[in-house]
Amino acid sequence: MNIANRKYIIVLFILVIGVLYSLRLFYMQVIDDTWVLRAQEIAEKRKEVLPPRAVIFDRNGLKIVSNKTYYNLMFIENNIPKLDTVAFAKLINWTPIQVRERFAEIKEGEGVYRNKSSGKKTPNYQKKRAYPFLKELSLEEITNIALHLDNFPGFYEEVTSMRSYPFSNGANILGYLNEATRKEIDEDRFYRPGSNIGRSGIERFYEKELRGRKGIRYVVTSAMNNPIESYANGKYDTIAKQAPGLKLGMDITLQAYGELLMQNKKGCIVAIEPESGDILAMISAPSFDPNLLVGRRNISLNYPKLVTDINKPLFPRPLQAEYPPGSIFKLVQSLIALQEGVITEETGFPCNKSVVGCHNHPNASGVAQAVQYSCNPYFYAVVRKIIQQRKSKNTFTDAEKGLNLWHSYMNSFGLGKKLETDVSGQRPGLIPDSKYYDRIYGRHQWAFSTIRSISIGQGEIKLTPLQMANIAAIIANKGWYIEPHFVKSIGDSGPLPIYQKKNYTMVEAKNFSAVIEGMRRVVNEPGGTGSAARLKDIMVCGKTGTVQNSQGEDHSVFIAFAPMENPKIALAIFVENAGAGGTWAAPIASLIIEKYLLSKISDSDKEKRIIEATLSNFNKP
Amino acid sequence: MRKNDSLLSKLDWPLFISFMILVFLGLATVYSVAFNEENPSIFAFSEKYGKQIIWLGASFFIGLLIFLIDADYYSKIALPVYISVLVLLVIVLFMPPINGARAWLGVGSLGVQPAEFAKIATALLLSKYISELVVKFQTIKTVLTACLILFVPALLIALQPDAGTLVVFSSFLFVMYREGLTFDPIILGVLNTIPGIKFKSTWLGNHFIPVLFVFLFLCIITLVLSNVQFHLWGFPNNTFQGSTGVVLTLGSISLLLLLFIRRISSRRDRPRMILVIALGFLITASISLFVDKAFSGLAKHQRNRIELVLGLKEDPDGGDYNRNRAMAAVGSGGALGKGYMGASVSSIESNHVPESETDFIFCPFAEEWGFLGSIILVATYMFMLLRIIFIAERQRAPFNRIYAYCVAMILFYHFAINIGMNIGFAPVIGIPLPFFSYGGSSILSFCVLVFILLKLDSQRIDVL
Repeated sequence: MNIANRKYIIVLFILVIGVLYSLRLFYMQVIDDTWVLRAQEIAEKRKEVLPPRAVIFDRNGLKIVSNKTYYNLMFIENNIPKLDTVAFAKLINWTPIQVRERFAEIKEGEGVYRNKSSGKKTPNYQKKRAYPFLKELSLEEITNIALHLDNFPGFYEEVTSMRSYPFSNGANILGYLNEATRKEIDEDRFYRPGSNIGRSGIERFYEKELRGRKGIRYVVTSAMNNPIESYANGKYDTIAKQAPGLKLGMDITLQAYGELLMQNKKGCIVAIEPESGDILAMISAPSFDPNLLVGRRNISLNYPKLVTDINKPLFPRPLQAEYPPGSIFKLVQSLIALQEGVITEETGFPCNKSVVGCHNHPNASGVAQAVQYSCNPYFYAVVRKIIQQRKSKNTFTDAEKGLNLWHSYMNSFGLGKKLETDVSGQRPGLIPDSKYYDRIYGRHQWAFSTIRSISIGQGEIKLTPLQMANIAAIIANKGWYIEPHFVKSIGDSGPLPIYQKKNYTMVEAKNFSAVIEGMRRVVNEPGGTGSAARLKDIMVCGKTGTVQNSQGEDHSVFIAFAPMENPKIALAIFVENAGAGGTWAAPIASLIIEKYLLSKISDSDKEKRIIEATLSNFNKP
Repeated sequence: MRKNDSLLSKLDWPLFISFMILVFLGLATVYSVAFNEENPSIFAFSEKYGKQIIWLGASFFIGLLIFLIDADYYSKIALPVYISVLVLLVIVLFMPPINGARAWLGVGSLGVQPAEFAKIATALLLSKYISELVVKFQTIKTVLTACLILFVPALLIALQPDAGTLVVFSSFLFVMYREGLTFDPIILGVLNTIPGIKFKSTWLGNHFIPVLFVFLFLCIITLVLSNVQFHLWGFPNNTFQGSTGVVLTLGSISLLLLLFIRRISSRRDRPRMILVIALGFLITASISLFVDKAFSGLAKHQRNRIELVLGLKEDPDGGDYNRNRAMAAVGSGGALGKGYMGASVSSIESNHVPESETDFIFCPFAEEWGFLGSIILVATYMFMLLRIIFIAERQRAPFNRIYAYCVAMILFYHFAINIGMNIGFAPVIGIPLPFFSYGGSSILSFCVLVFILLKLDSQRIDVL
């Protein structure tokens, strides 16, 4: 073979490489998009920008939940040339050992990467990444540190935003935020490790409305993870948007006043505007300053204290405490009996103390008087007539039918079920039906005589204070209610449709007048049990309750609405282990009504007595 | 003046223009990668593009000098140049190391790398030696002498260490192949001891160098397949190793050849042909098995390295960082690229792709210009290389031809390895892309390499 022909072999080599590379480049750049995705992964970072959480206003436009700026002290290990641990510890008022421990903690804790599908945890601490060394520093705290940060390269401050409560009231209702759990992060892509999420109360219920819209910035980042420029001049970026403010029906002044009245006591106050269903105030006593549960530092410091406090300040009583209602329940019994036609407004029953105990009062010759005197035997007779209507010959089947009818009446009053209130953590209370008693006594093994204590709101009956206040609102409205709710309006959108709808009870409006008259007499007539709620300028209608219970002294209960004509406020007061309803709950109700309607207090002695009282069951620290 | 007229008319314009296109694209890419807003002028000499301009200016000035020197002179200065470069290569070994290699003479941006110029010196001396031989370039003595010319600078460069340039030195083997290098003396010495065989030359001996590279390719295939388990229905255990697969494939090819032996050889040649096929099978099969065994006998870190290069293992943020980032940059360019100055993965400030202005300069180019730019670049290089071979073959003087082949093969190696490591076809060994990569020594040496060729070619008629 001629040696000169070898040039063809060499040319062949060159051409093969040229063609091979061209094909490879065509595949890599035009066909396969693996590398486009890889490049995005490497250099184009999505930076999420969280908007501040929406602000919450009270009914008069006062800011009750807002945001405050806090600072994190961040560090990037790669940017720390050599840390003078002793000087740094001195700057942040720690010991050098604590500083070293914190570094170790970050490496093992916050640097851990968890695989979503397998759940496996692998250390993923990266020296080029930023981690918070100290979190949630106040302006003063960071100012002291920031002055000297020049001496500690690799450390810098970062701004964050956290909740702030200018009024320090309503902690149980407003709720608090804390870090999203692993499950929440997995379920909703909005959250990242360290994100805050509404943990209770309104913050939790309205989480989606409050959190706003995340902004996303696409930036080109360097190998050191530092942003260099915005990607495509920000063409794909979205701006973080704070959600519109939430306007509550709550009157923060009233809420604060209620908390003041309830200090050193256990119990609750719930006030509703009957016409709109707005919750004006919801006091759970004892309460705490909501600022105690802002941010990780505060929560880890204060939460254990609150959770172990024997007065249970974290327990949202108006929503979750299920109490026997006592005599206030007689109002509903009267209404059902009148609607069913088993009695008339003029029906009288003797006060027969052999059936059930009662106090000394004249025989009631009608519904209004029976309410005024709160006559126990009277309501035994009334409820017997509801349950045993003689529609069936067998007493037991008759009782079964009667109880179920009664139960559906109770449901129409929002009892025995959760109300559609916009807050998480409600309890339904308990209104027994036939199945309930079948489970206890067996089918057709019980009749009215077995279950008679339900007539006077004792026995199995359980209501939450919110439900009690709603009864007052229903009576004030003569037969209907709007689901009690906190949020009047999200931004300017007005009340949600569900909070514009009137829910009618099974009792017609015409049957309410006798009961309302009775409630007027309770407060305003001699011999009424609620005279302590009487006000000179306002016609208050109310009903006391004194609930026997196994935990000691009776609970003091009072529900009321005012003024009698065109009512503006309906409320329930529940004071645990305080004694008779007229002694504690009634005066508190009058103070709340006066404060709300007139913004002044006429009887300062009454106010002083209530504020200064410390009830025996309250454990002072 | 007749002389000046002839210079322009005798210059090989196709080569010169393709050269200028690459120089221009290279400078534009360096400008894009190293762009600094504070010094936007391309003549900002504190920036890399400014420095590149200085080096290009110096190169063209030297080019002018080269054109003033008579072509005869280059074979005469070959030995002195070679010896002075050797001296420099020795001196550089006593310099303080930069990035772990003693490759630099001088300080900072004025430093030069003698290894870059060793390529020119070796090309000149090799051309001179082979062209002045009175015997054929096939005797053992001549081949060994030629190999010695390569080996001395290659050894000194290996000591720096500079693996990339060392690999490039093997490109001279192809030049020697073109000039008639044969391994027949060795192969025949073995083969003809077998009774009944009397070959005059073998195909293998003639084309030993290309065959060697094809064999390397075979080894790589074996390694790639060595981790793959084959499943074959009908076999007792159903699976066998990749290297066994290669052997089986080679065996089947040999069997096929034997079956069709009537078609591919005359009756007289048949015994020889059978022997060749049998030997070919035995040799390839044993190489394949040997590679497989040798590979599993390697130390773990060496094995890792090879596995990474061959893409048998993924470690995008660890050992495979450079190549992975480079491929992301190239691949993300798409069909039309991200636009000039639009590189995001391979821009120098993002620093995802290391050395994106030197060894990995193809990344920003391919990222900004996409497949369109890449194919133009590959085509320009192809054109240039084939043009140089065309020029080589039209020379009357063997010195000129051999030198032209040296230029072609050096450029080819740089092109193939540099682009190859950007697209995952070659291991990451740091060698510059000719005329593109930032760096004084490489720009200067490649320009001089081409200028000498242009000068030699322009005077090819004068040679008797």
